Amino acid sequence: MTQQSETAAKSPPMTAPLEGVPLPDMERVPDYERGFWEGTRNGELRIQRCADCGRFRHLPTPMCPECSSLQYSWTQVSGRGFVYSFVIVRHPVHPAIREREQTPYNICMIELEEQEGLRVCSNILQVAPEDIGIGMPVQVTFMPVADDPEVTLPVFLPAPQQ
Amino acid sequence: MPPNIIPADTNGIRDKAAIVGIGETEFSWDSGRSELQLASEAIKAACDDAGIAPQDIDGLIRYDMESNHETLLTQSLGIKNLRHWESVSYGGGAGNATVGHAAAAIAAGYANYVVCFRAANLRSGVRLGRARGPERIAGGADSFAVPWGSMAPAHRFGMFVRRYMHEYGATSRHFGWVAVTLREHASRNPRALRREPITIDDHQNSRMVVDPLHVLDFCQENDGAAAVVMTTPERARELRHSDTLTLVEAAAQGSGPRNDGIVYRPDLAAAESEHTARDLWARARLSASDMDAMMFYDHFTPFCLINLETYGFVPRGEAKDFVDGGANIRFDGMLPVNTHGGNHSEAYIHGLTHVQEAVRLIRGDSTAQPPQKAINRVLSCSSVAQLSGAVIIRRG
Repeated sequence: MTQQSETAAKSPPMTAPLEGVPLPDMERVPDYERGFWEGTRNGELRIQRCADCGRFRHLPTPMCPECSSLQYSWTQVSGRGFVYSFVIVRHPVHPAIREREQTPYNICMIELEEQEGLRVCSNILQVAPEDIGIGMPVQVTFMPVADDPEVTLPVFLPAPQQ
Repeated sequence: MPPNIIPADTNGIRDKAAIVGIGETEFSWDSGRSELQLASEAIKAACDDAGIAPQDIDGLIRYDMESNHETLLTQSLGIKNLRHWESVSYGGGAGNATVGHAAAAIAAGYANYVVCFRAANLRSGVRLGRARGPERIAGGADSFAVPWGSMAPAHRFGMFVRRYMHEYGATSRHFGWVAVTLREHASRNPRALRREPITIDDHQNSRMVVDPLHVLDFCQENDGAAAVVMTTPERARELRHSDTLTLVEAAAQGSGPRNDGIVYRPDLAAAESEHTARDLWARARLSASDMDAMMFYDHFTPFCLINLETYGFVPRGEAKDFVDGGANIRFDGMLPVNTHGGNHSEAYIHGLTHVQEAVRLIRGDSTAQPPQKAINRVLSCSSVAQLSGAVIIRRG
């Protein structure tokens, strides 16, 4: 792949979230997940944080998996992190991806700087797939979704090396 | 870690159950018939192989993804009274786990003849590799993945594979040698759906589907059914394969932490099968070096390397060297793997065909029977699915 990327033309970067893919239904998401989406609508990346031991957690859960506390807050994080792992999807498996020719696109696991192992799934915009690499520093930004005004997605942009 | 209140070497099923029959339908892209029909045919074939009648069955272990419920099967098979039934969760991890559960039921005396089965039109029906589900998501792991396009198994497992490659230096070529080897095994197997041999270049030049996974890294999606019949060793000695006793020596399952959504493990390059392997070897009082072959759950080829490492055949990070060139993992190599061709090239029946192949190897009638050594013990295992399962099958 590395050899190929040096000689062949690069694929175009993503410039916006995918269109036409299934989104969470804000009427039905459970109470212990809602704070995440309320945060993104307000332009903040809020992560569930245990009110007793202070550990962040994602995916959200009703109980702290570390200390079993049922008390938590939604705490804004810096939105800075790095690419922990990623894939480049070149073959579409969803009709909206296929019909709107949205491949290639990237899916990244972003590790947030607040806590080791604290990761969210997202996309990186403005970077050609061939240039995405593990360890790349990134910064969150927020994009409305064309299909639903209720949903704002956190996506990531390249950030200067710290 | 929570205190382990069970002595690590407790193994209440050791040699208490035997696999006495295996059977399957033909494998196809379009079976043209119902999943109940497929299940009935595969179970009947397994009963024929065992030398019992379907009406003798009094225990059923199904996958929870299976559309065929016990009531349908008792009706179709003419079972007079089902004494024991269970469903094992998920797909990939369930194959070996069903056998472990059946062995436990037999050891406990809950049933005489227990059948484990999987029947599905996974190609002509609902395909697991395709995005599916409702247009809106009611929360859960999918709602934190699908909006960014993570919607198929390859997206999640590809994330794992990328991290593994990064940490241990494995390359797509190493995965290619697994593909070449599995296809070679399938080329000898008349049941297999994909029998045309491939080269390492074919693999490397095959379409990139979800980088880092080429299309020749993927298992198939197909229709078909498989079943195994189990009973006590005492009854096994009265049945058709009385000359070769095929015993379940140990079994284990493991979830590891944080498995929901698959990609949130603390160390994504580590598999939950580390936990499964630890329990399995402690219960069996054996190690990888005691195994004559490894049947691994090959949803994607890189998981050959992961299984080799987590079950201890090679140290972590060294599987890439072990599989390089394919010679070690060929049927005539140091450690034959998936001599039937696996999910990759024989058929994808959610891992139950791997148990069947382990039985064939013990009986000595695999189409890729290792010529160089007797096969006395086979590990059938899975690593990263969502939850993993493993079973050791030995010659009695």
